[in-house]
Amino acid sequence: MRAFLFLLLFLLLSWPAHGHIGSPNVFFDGRAGPYEVRVVIRPPNAIPGPAQIDIRVSGSTAHTIRIQPSFWDASIEAAPAPIGAVATASDPHLFTTSFWLLRRGSHAVRIQIEGSSGTGELVVPLQATLLAGTSIPPGLSAALLILVLVLIFGAILVARATAQRFAPASTGRAVLVAALCLIAGISFASVRWRTMDRNFRERLLARPIPVTATIRSSSEIHRLVVTPVDQASPGQGWDTLVTDHGKLAHLFLLRESDLAAFAHLHPVRRDAQTFESVLPALPAGNYQLYAELTHENGSNDTLTGRVNVPAPIGAASQPSWDLKNDVWCQSPRAVSTNAAEPDALDADDSWHVAPPPSIGSLQTQVSPLMGGGKMVFANAGDFVVDRETALRFAVYSASGEAVPLQSYMGMLGHAVIRRDDGSVFTHLHPAGTISMAAQQIFSGAAPAANLPAFPETSEVTFPYAFPQVGDYHLWIQVRVDGRVATGVFAVRVR
Amino acid sequence: MQVAGAVGVPLALLWDFSWESTIGVDLIWSPPHLAMMGSVVIAALGAAAQLNWHPRSGEVPLGPVAAPLGAWITLWGAIAFLTATLFDQWWQASYGLAAGLWPPPQLLKAAGFLAVTSGAWLTGDARSRFPWGASAVLALISVMTIPLLYANRQHSAAFFLAACGTYPLVLVAVAKSGSGRWPATRAALGYTLLLGTMVWLLPLFPGVPLVGPIYHPRDHFLPPPFPLLLLLPAFGLDWLLRQRPAREAARSGSSAAGEAGLAFFLIFTVAHWVFASFLLSPAADHWFFAGGGRHWPFFLQIVPGAETSFWPESDSDFTGLRALLAIALAIGCSWLGLQLGRGLSVLKR
Repeated sequence: MRAFLFLLLFLLLSWPAHGHIGSPNVFFDGRAGPYEVRVVIRPPNAIPGPAQIDIRVSGSTAHTIRIQPSFWDASIEAAPAPIGAVATASDPHLFTTSFWLLRRGSHAVRIQIEGSSGTGELVVPLQATLLAGTSIPPGLSAALLILVLVLIFGAILVARATAQRFAPASTGRAVLVAALCLIAGISFASVRWRTMDRNFRERLLARPIPVTATIRSSSEIHRLVVTPVDQASPGQGWDTLVTDHGKLAHLFLLRESDLAAFAHLHPVRRDAQTFESVLPALPAGNYQLYAELTHENGSNDTLTGRVNVPAPIGAASQPSWDLKNDVWCQSPRAVSTNAAEPDALDADDSWHVAPPPSIGSLQTQVSPLMGGGKMVFANAGDFVVDRETALRFAVYSASGEAVPLQSYMGMLGHAVIRRDDGSVFTHLHPAGTISMAAQQIFSGAAPAANLPAFPETSEVTFPYAFPQVGDYHLWIQVRVDGRVATGVFAVRVR
Repeated sequence: MQVAGAVGVPLALLWDFSWESTIGVDLIWSPPHLAMMGSVVIAALGAAAQLNWHPRSGEVPLGPVAAPLGAWITLWGAIAFLTATLFDQWWQASYGLAAGLWPPPQLLKAAGFLAVTSGAWLTGDARSRFPWGASAVLALISVMTIPLLYANRQHSAAFFLAACGTYPLVLVAVAKSGSGRWPATRAALGYTLLLGTMVWLLPLFPGVPLVGPIYHPRDHFLPPPFPLLLLLPAFGLDWLLRQRPAREAARSGSSAAGEAGLAFFLIFTVAHWVFASFLLSPAADHWFFAGGGRHWPFFLQIVPGAETSFWPESDSDFTGLRALLAIALAIGCSWLGLQLGRGLSVLKR
């Protein structure tokens, strides 16, 4: 009887955090000391509940793996003793276990590996959120209905028989009282169910934070201004953000009608409830807006909104797009940092205009890049829902030679995955779906001053498992020759 | 058997409370849950064993079979428990605890437990010398209001209102209908032993939290809060309702209810006002009382210093108006208890 966890009366309720949309599972590819690891964490639907964790170790052989989840608001001393993960019978490199989550909010999952190459340790951030509840299976609801009818008629029959036996004159009254009690009980329970369900869906369920996006235009530029729709809501303001890849916010714009335009921007924070960004030259239209933020407690928010983008103005550029053939992959040439006045684009902003691949016939395998190069989806094919995979992409020049990739905000690449109906949206990196900022917070490491050096490669991979069946678009961004190139792909997941 | 199962219900629930406050991982097949299911099954089997084809005196026929009313009520409770368990499994997987306390499946489960124990009270206590069934009902009420049993909350209006709105009903009914000279006192003694047993036994077993955050590290099972001093008001009610039968017979039901309710309120309030302070003092930091503000669920975050003080609760100060409300509740409950006691006496004949 979990009602005993009356802690809810006392607990500080953690604010709902909503990292990613419709894609709650955590994927991480990286290193734990000498070991190459891939970690997949599947959080529970409801809390309290068990999270499932799989750890695949490659390179060296691991013999012991221990997991220790800890809550952001409590010290490591408040974490339970580490639990062991067990190697699966079919694959000695794959370790698995489950751990219990008691509280909503940001957790650090510490993973310790011991093996032939010594000891390795890493931290994977995990958001424990409430996901959409399931509806009652028909079999269960039929069984419950039958049992409830038995309870109702049983109570009335017993009341009647008892009255007949001991006080025959008041039989009718006894039946009436029993019926009234049952009606009162059932009405109370159903009203309570409805109230609790509404409260759960409106206030507790993990979902993105809606924002209002407006365009403020001057003679030279369009400025995008983003504010929360519900400015009075209690929750976290934007004054507790930390930078992820050096940016406070990663904002994505997708043209709604045809997905022909895409932008990845880094707006500047104006105050605790306002972000602003200069808009690059995008074709006019209605755009879907997504933005990702990381708070200093390691939790992530996804913001969503819509914005009507007018045609570009000013002297900068008046491009006329031919959306049937042209590919525009743009990023600013001037190097600037997070400018206080967003009169210039951020150095790492990028945008892409091109006819999008359509789903229908086959998965797209090749996406043309500006200047004649191309990006190839190396393992395009049939994807199966919930099956963990590595999405691999390689970049080639116009002459067909493999092109070395450069660091784009400390990463070999950035991927945006969106289910075509918008029910899934996620922003991931070769390291997976985790927020690097949250990982740095939890492992106590300072953000890397110098971006890590990458081995020269023309290929980038992203660990992921598509969470739902359906059609998806993928935007894959890499830096080539000092400029950001965006490849666009369509996939069908079965 | 029916009574044994009924007594097992509050014991299993207290074990479950201690498990969740010590271990934290709460799976459907955890030992306390199995004990809970086992208790209900035993009570239901005990009740089913009383079904027969030939109605005897005092039994309630339902179609071709007859059984004492208490057996029917326990069987109803067992079906309610089964329904609630199925419903709760789905609820916990869909909403968890976030949607709030006392969701519909928990309400139904509580109704099932109340029916299982009340049925045992009706049948069992008519036959045995010790009213264990009534003790189980009293213990169940304490278990269902366990957050209020913490001494830190025993100066709040919520505590006194909850107590005055529940216990007098059972104690007065037992005092009215029970056998022997001190039935309510015995029921309260049984209650004290049931809760006390868990307070004294559970901390003997080792256990550590398997889930964080752990704000109060534990190495043994958490003792539940010390049982309420129901013995004192029960003794008073027995004296009022049984030791003065000549006068009691002369009075109307409502004036008897008034006296009983007022007596319960006065004795209980004074006793707990004093006893709660003792429980928070270092003198109660002892295996017997498990007090002194030292025993907390691992997950509870408490402001330093609040362990041994009375918690200020918004809207729950024990004002004069709320005291009057508590008296009214105690009198109303006593009146219902008298009616119930009369009904039980009829059933017994």
